Amino acid sequence: MKRTTAHRLTSFGVLVVLAALWQLASILMPYESVPGEPMIPGWQILVTRTFLSLADYWQGGLGIPSVAQGGARTYAGAALAVLSNSWDTSLRLFTGLTLGVAVGLVAGLAVSWSKWSRRIVALPAQIIRTFPMLALIPMFQLWFGATFLGMALFVAFAVGVIFFTGTVNAVGNVSDIHVDYARTQGASRIQIYRSVILPAMFPELRSSILLSLGTAWTAVIAAEFLGAQTGLGQIIVFAQYFGYVGRMFLVALFLLFYAAITYALFERASRRLTEWMPRELATPDRYGAP
Amino acid sequence: MAEVELRNVGQFFRRSGGALVEAVADVSLVIRSHEFVCLIGPSGCGKTTLLQLVAGLTPASQGQISVDGAAIAGPSPERGLVFQRDSVFPWMRTIDNVSYGLKCRGVEKTKRIEIARQYLRQVGLGDVERSWPRELSGGMLKRVAVATVFANSPRVLLMDEPFAALDYVTKLQLHQLLLTLWEQHRPTVLFVTHDVDEAMLLADRIVVMKEGRVVDDRKITLARRRTVESLALPEAVAHKEVLLRHLGLGELVQDRTAPL
Repeated sequence: MKRTTAHRLTSFGVLVVLAALWQLASILMPYESVPGEPMIPGWQILVTRTFLSLADYWQGGLGIPSVAQGGARTYAGAALAVLSNSWDTSLRLFTGLTLGVAVGLVAGLAVSWSKWSRRIVALPAQIIRTFPMLALIPMFQLWFGATFLGMALFVAFAVGVIFFTGTVNAVGNVSDIHVDYARTQGASRIQIYRSVILPAMFPELRSSILLSLGTAWTAVIAAEFLGAQTGLGQIIVFAQYFGYVGRMFLVALFLLFYAAITYALFERASRRLTEWMPRELATPDRYGAP
Repeated sequence: MAEVELRNVGQFFRRSGGALVEAVADVSLVIRSHEFVCLIGPSGCGKTTLLQLVAGLTPASQGQISVDGAAIAGPSPERGLVFQRDSVFPWMRTIDNVSYGLKCRGVEKTKRIEIARQYLRQVGLGDVERSWPRELSGGMLKRVAVATVFANSPRVLLMDEPFAALDYVTKLQLHQLLLTLWEQHRPTVLFVTHDVDEAMLLADRIVVMKEGRVVDDRKITLARRRTVESLALPEAVAHKEVLLRHLGLGELVQDRTAPL
């Protein structure tokens, strides 16, 4: 059997075991958060009643009326609710992510331009990096309100800080020999940045990108907790108000699924961009090294 | 024509403890156009530092370095450098590596690919132009570096122990390749090595450095291309004995009374 197939089968097996453990917990601990709402809902409840209840978040349209307008809870309504709220969350996430990556990367490269700018920015960058991100949410809300812009900017800030420090570190670790090699061949500073620094730093920047992806999902859900009218984070908040653990768990599963897709897409793109790297460095080895 | 002149060149470093280190001290040297000069000396004698100064990678602490009378101001493709360590860009395919300098100087794509192909064929790598550097051996990577530097048509070729890490056979093959390219293009060469045999095989002149200073400068008049036989001639052996003694290997030399 090929190593990758065996790897996938093992991962799938682990998921099945985790799902079985959840089911077992639901049987062993039949407590309720509110009457009729199990604290640990089993899969038979999650995929039927809980999923159907997500139809409450469909605001109507496409021939399916909202529950608030007197429509019945349907699977189609639930699916549309999940899709529309996922779309809103994803839009905030990817806008913020793109902005954060762009600003973090450009600022990181600009700061790396000279030794002096690196020295000047080193300390403030460390301070901002260690600042608890979630403590900033109320401030962003006051500045921008519970708007698309406010949420996207919060994601951008969270990602930008990671990307900025990651870029500064990665540029600092680019081998001098490649820079000197380019200089002796007549490369200008801009050409060195484009053809040497950027490709050389990408392998090291990969960890910052992965960290940014995780942070972006956390940031967008956290931003939606406070005052958003749509989005997966808003569903979790409402579910928490009424003790609907099942809805919270189901939305968390959707988030896991989306995060897994973004990681997989990034890994695929990353493999193309690191095609030049020795295989043992480009693919994770048995010790988990990149 | 590219005459390299070093006038009273010095280079100082400050160690982390604060002590001043004189890596290159008051070096004056003229390398005539088309001359092949080997710079030899024990480890830490300042050879590589001197080469980097000529390359323009580091400004000299004192003195002046000029090419054809014009003071150098930073690196230039006119002074091509082959590094000791692998410097080939691993993220570029072989052909893109060889054509990189031409691209930087704005040479049109068709033209630069044609030039790069020509040099790749000359170094025997015509069939790996689309390969990634990771797919090439150490010897092949050095060939890529040599092809790259010659593709830029340098007037001065600087080489920093380029073949030091290679096996014996590959090293000898690359010596022949380098001599062929040098005979065709005739750049002025400054070649740093600590290998006396390599210097004897390649050089018109061997300059010896010790503790940052030039302590010997000898012309090698043996006919080219040098062979095992010509390198065993009394003249060659005499040079080699002196060079070995400069490197602190006097015990390998029979006549210990011969002057340095």
